[in-house]
Amino acid sequence: MTADDLVIVLVAGLTATACGLLGPFLVLRRMALLSDAVSHAVLPGIVAVWLIGETRAPVPVVAGAAAFAVLCVLGIEAIRATGLVATDAAIALVFPALFSLGVLGITRYASDIHLDLDSTIYGEIAFTPFDTVTVAGVELARSGVVLGVVAVLNVVFVVALWKELRATTFDPAFGRVTGMRPRLLSRLLLVAVAVTAVSAFEAVGAILVVTMLIVPAATAALVTRRMGAMVAVTLVVGWLGAILGHVTALTFDASIAGAMGLVCTACFVIALVGRRFVGAGARRRARELDDPPVGAGGHLVGE
Amino acid sequence: MDRLSALLGLPYTDTVVVAGALVLGISAGVLGSFAVLRGRSLVGDAIAHSTLPGVCVAFLVTGTKEVAGLLAGAAVAGLVAALLMIAVERSVLRADTAIGVVLSGFFSLGIVLLTHITATGDAQQAGLEAFLFGQAAGLLERDVAVMGAIGLAGLVGVAVLRRALAATLFDRAHAAALGLSTRLVEAAVTAFLVAAVVIGVRLVGAILMVAMLAVPTVVARQLADRFGRVLILAGAVGAVVGVTGALLATRAQLPTGPVIVLVGVVVALLAVLLAPDRGVLARRARRARRAREIALGRALGDPAAASAGARRRLVRAGFLTEDGTLTPAGAAAQEDRAERVALAMAWLHYGPQIRLRDAREPDLRDVRRSLEPDALTELKHLAGLS
Repeated sequence: MTADDLVIVLVAGLTATACGLLGPFLVLRRMALLSDAVSHAVLPGIVAVWLIGETRAPVPVVAGAAAFAVLCVLGIEAIRATGLVATDAAIALVFPALFSLGVLGITRYASDIHLDLDSTIYGEIAFTPFDTVTVAGVELARSGVVLGVVAVLNVVFVVALWKELRATTFDPAFGRVTGMRPRLLSRLLLVAVAVTAVSAFEAVGAILVVTMLIVPAATAALVTRRMGAMVAVTLVVGWLGAILGHVTALTFDASIAGAMGLVCTACFVIALVGRRFVGAGARRRARELDDPPVGAGGHLVGE
Repeated sequence: MDRLSALLGLPYTDTVVVAGALVLGISAGVLGSFAVLRGRSLVGDAIAHSTLPGVCVAFLVTGTKEVAGLLAGAAVAGLVAALLMIAVERSVLRADTAIGVVLSGFFSLGIVLLTHITATGDAQQAGLEAFLFGQAAGLLERDVAVMGAIGLAGLVGVAVLRRALAATLFDRAHAAALGLSTRLVEAAVTAFLVAAVVIGVRLVGAILMVAMLAVPTVVARQLADRFGRVLILAGAVGAVVGVTGALLATRAQLPTGPVIVLVGVVVALLAVLLAPDRGVLARRARRARRAREIALGRALGDPAAASAGARRRLVRAGFLTEDGTLTPAGAAAQEDRAERVALAMAWLHYGPQIRLRDAREPDLRDVRRSLEPDALTELKHLAGLS
């Protein structure tokens, strides 16, 4: 494994870390698909920054993308709040519209420049080692630095609000009664997802971000029911995807991001199939404790 | 097609695109409504993304970009993805997570296959990824014919199965009790959805397909309450949106898919805002009217104590003269209101003692109109009002 390969795996691992800290909350709150919506909705932001500022520099691009990510989330919330359209239908209305705006912007005004759909949808994690910045005299991959910062921010966010996030995820009413402000926490979580997604798109492509936000967390949800363990399993699956995915991509000469996503999905499939065989007895016993079947518990029959 | 082209005054290629948009609009509208009404709008998103690996495998097997072969590959992959989603949903995971996992997994596979095909350097492969974003410009008359045939098959299926579909959709337990195989019906709904997506992916692309499925049903639901009407309206809305968008796009020389989707979303938002009965504005107006009625009634109960504004409204309604005395109409209305209030209070008090022929609670705003004559007499008697 060369130094470039190491950089790619590290960048993917940092993406997995940043996404994996938020993913379990998204999955448990049934907001998994918002990441997919946001990933498409940021396109007009990127295009607008190019049209106005003629730049692809990361800071304005991330700002433009983040603006549309927030717009997307607020738009979905506004449509849902009318009570006339279900959440899933609201998502299905908002993000294709924003994505369409982005596509129109590209074809109308920006078709002659290098701002193609591939770079936002596929991303190109393979190029991350060549784009470097110098921090304190050391040359580092730029996207690695960005994602490292995002990952640290997410660690701080999740650790600082661990108790609140966990409580409001499972029982918003309890959270409200104990003064935890579930709506605010939900918004903060969405903002964190938007920031993470937007800063990761550029480096690794939208599909890997969506995959890393959903698939490892879904895998973990199959394996454990404890919040802390869920986050840990999510991170392990994400890093497995990063490392094995890179190896797979090299072997088959295929997209690195795609291969990483495939490895994560493979972990999910193993967990799904494994559930049928491992722990089925334990789950049945747990159910019976909650709800003893007639004839199985002593006191219902014998007494 | 040539005659249609002459009729619309459009070049032949544009006419093909408009015809394709019409076919797509109708089939996506009708076939998508099942997913939307079940709260699974985004299943279409996952199916659409899942067609990519199918297209790649079809290309690897046949070695050509023959449309029929690619569509078949897309359909098989979409169907597999849809069935996997149903399977994943059976575990502890929710629908949205199932959709997300299947979407990510299939799309990752598609990208891997696509880059693999590209790396092998087959000159034929160029443009395979256009499947994702749609490629209306390259649409052929034969493509539209294939789309039409698939769509027609789906619509016939819906027409034949509509009772079973409605029963399963709204009350699974009831459908199962009737002896319907809900699993089979669910599989049929999934097949319809896959058909719609496969039709649309060619024209508007995978990402925008999700809006084509959702928009018609959202609009139709705003305008109708009955399932059959929603289905028909959804087809009509899809057709109008598709044709309008396609015409606008050819006129303005813009890509077809995004324009159709933007037209559709604008129509959907307008429907949510302006629909006659269920619209946001209509509901707001209804609520305001009710509040005004209540305020007017309260002012009428005691005009002397009412605020200046309320008195002005009473004057405008013809219940009060300028100098503050009740007109004959006002006196009648006041008496009427007093009786309604008294009866409502009486019902709250004595209602439980009155035996009704059915268990319907009367409307307290006017008990007289919603209670049977016998019961009304009894109520008045109990309350000493007669």
